[in-house]
Amino acid sequence: MTEFAPREPLTVAKTIMTVDDSPSMRMLLRVALTDLGYSVVEAEDGVHALEKLDGFQPDLLITDINMPRMDGFGLIAEVRGQGRRSLPILVLTTESSDEKKQRARDAGATGWIVKPFHPEKLAAAIRRVLH
Amino acid sequence: MSALSARDGLRRLTVAQGEMKVSDERDVVLTTVLGSCVAACFYDPVAQIGGINHYLLADGNASDPASMQRYGVYAMEVLINAMLARGAARSRMRTRIFGGATMRAGFRDIGGANIAFARQFLRDERIALVGEDVGGTQARRVEFRAAVGLARCRSVVDTAPPPIVVRAPPPPPAAVGDVEFF
Repeated sequence: MTEFAPREPLTVAKTIMTVDDSPSMRMLLRVALTDLGYSVVEAEDGVHALEKLDGFQPDLLITDINMPRMDGFGLIAEVRGQGRRSLPILVLTTESSDEKKQRARDAGATGWIVKPFHPEKLAAAIRRVLH
Repeated sequence: MSALSARDGLRRLTVAQGEMKVSDERDVVLTTVLGSCVAACFYDPVAQIGGINHYLLADGNASDPASMQRYGVYAMEVLINAMLARGAARSRMRTRIFGGATMRAGFRDIGGANIAFARQFLRDERIALVGEDVGGTQARRVEFRAAVGLARCRSVVDTAPPPIVVRAPPPPPAAVGDVEFF
């Protein structure tokens, strides 16, 4: 049996990419997610997220919808178009219309969360898609 | 609620606590009365569109700061998104903030917390804060011609300030933080 080094962590933190054009919202998510033990990578819009996803696979993507350059719908479609079928994608947005939810569903989103997020509901949603 | 003033012929639309409104109509004045609450007036001079919100982040029971932040960012984001959807650009936005008075001595400085949030948010978002009339001890009436970018703020003397709702800020129309899986 191989022994773990005493100070070696037994688990590796899962990585969540957050995509939002608001620095304030990215900060709130960073604090909430790191408190939950996740590692966080941030992008400020869909184009920036695709650049960071080149050669990198997070465990979960959380994206806003209304963003400049490329919105959340475009990002989800691009990610799914790259063949990343197993990557869970949660939409986190102020929007709540059925029409927009349907667009996200059609693009390949895994779920939809309405801002302002509730930390415990967010944590439960993440656990459901990651574990 | 809309009222046409015989005095100046402008249409006045009232913005209540927890609400926001956007307008690009030159004869529309968005108006609100503030005590401890803060209103942020955003304006894009190129698109000639503006909007105002009216938020109360803190309450008398020392709210959880993280919760305040989430509601505050939400209040700002909803307004900014509504303006972006109608042709405004974030980089061109100019903002004035009003309100945040200390309405009851001896209580926690609710108005101060609301002001501090607005300043910090605008700094973090790199949105220009070009003017403010905040603090003090008197209620204010704000009138904002959103399509023109003109804001007027007057003290409301000898009038009872709007009541402070001693609970969390009004939630968005949808249930807060609701999660739906596809």
